[in-house]
Amino acid sequence: MRESLQQRAQRVRSRAAVRAWEYRQRKHSKGVWFRLRRVLADAESAFAIGCSEVKRLEEEGYRTEPVGAEIEPPKMLLFIPATRLEQIPQKRRLRIALDAEFFAAPCVALVRFRAGSL
Amino acid sequence: MAAPLPDRYTRSMDFRTKLLSTLKAVQSVLNVPGVMVIGSEVPNLLQPDAASTLVVSQDVDIGVPVARINDVKAALSEVTELEPSEEEPSVWLPLNPELIEVNFVGMDPENHDATHAFVVEDAELPLLVFGALSLLRQGAILDIEDLNVPVPRLAGLLLEKLLTERVAEKGARDLLVVVGLLTVMRAADLEEIEEEYADLPKELRYAIRSNLTVLSLMQGVDGMPDPQTCRTRVATLLRQLEELEVDGT
Repeated sequence: MRESLQQRAQRVRSRAAVRAWEYRQRKHSKGVWFRLRRVLADAESAFAIGCSEVKRLEEEGYRTEPVGAEIEPPKMLLFIPATRLEQIPQKRRLRIALDAEFFAAPCVALVRFRAGSL
Repeated sequence: MAAPLPDRYTRSMDFRTKLLSTLKAVQSVLNVPGVMVIGSEVPNLLQPDAASTLVVSQDVDIGVPVARINDVKAALSEVTELEPSEEEPSVWLPLNPELIEVNFVGMDPENHDATHAFVVEDAELPLLVFGALSLLRQGAILDIEDLNVPVPRLAGLLLEKLLTERVAEKGARDLLVVVGLLTVMRAADLEEIEEEYADLPKELRYAIRSNLTVLSLMQGVDGMPDPQTCRTRVATLLRQLEELEVDGT
C-alpha cells in the first residue's frame, strides 16, 4: 500500500465532496462570487461611472444586474452599448477583475462582447 | 563572472528538446495502445507557438489505461535511460540531465465517475487513477522528429483541465493550459466539448463553468500565456455551455 498515492486519492475524493457542496450553494450567498464573475466574463470592458448616470440609464430602460445587490456594499452594474457609453462624459476604465479598484467603484457600466464564435 | 542567463526562447527550446528526448526514451511505452501524453505539454506538442510561453514543471505526464498496465510494464523493460523512483515507482527519473521526469498516471475509460480516484496497487508500477482522466479520448498520434506521440482529443483535455482544483500554482497552470488549448481549437472541437459536457454530472458542469469565469478574470502572469487574449473565446464557450443547461443551473 503506497501511502502517498492513497493520500492523493483521498484528497481528490475530498475535493469532489467540496465541489458537490459548492454546487448546492450555487443559488445561495456562497454562489455570489460565481454570479459576479459570470457577469464580468461577458464584459469586454468596464467603466466606473457616476451613480446619477446609472439612474438616467435605468430610466432609459437599462437594467442593473441583480448580483450587484447581493454584495456588501452593494454595487450597481449594468450593461450598456458602446455607443451609449461614449455619451457618458465622466467615466474611468477599470480592469475586468475582482480587484480593489473594481470593488471601490459603486457604479460600473459594462460593455458586452459582441456575439462571436470559437 | 556568472554566465548570462539564456533568454526565454533558448530556455523554452531547451525544454522542448528535453521533452522530445524523454518521449523518445519512452517510445516503447507510447506505442502501447491507449497510452497518451496528457499533461500541460500537450499544447506545446500540438503547436509549439500555442504554449511557447507556458511555464511547465520539468516532468511529463503519461496516461496509462489500467487495462494496459501489464503491457506498459513490459514496454518499460525496454526503457534504459530512466529508472523508477524508489520512493514512488510511478515516477521514473532520468539517468542523465538531458531528460526530464516521467510521471505515470492511471486512466480508466470504463469508470464514468469523473470525481473518483483510486490507487492500482502494483509493486512495479502503482498508479493513481484520476476519474477526470476518463474524459480523455485518444486523439492524434503526432509525428514529431521521428517520434510517434499519442495525445488526447482536445475537447476532453480541455474539460479535464477545467475540472482542476482552483488552488495554488497547479490550478492556475491548468487554467493557463486551457488558454493554450483554446488557441489551437477549431469549431469541430467545440461540438465535441458540448457533447462531452452534456454527459457530465451537474456538479462538474457547474465546476467547469465556474473555472471558465475564473479564467476570464485571470490577469497575465509573467512567463505564461496571457488569459486576457482569449476572453472572447471564453465568453462564447460559456454561453454555448449554458445553452445546454435545460434548467438554467
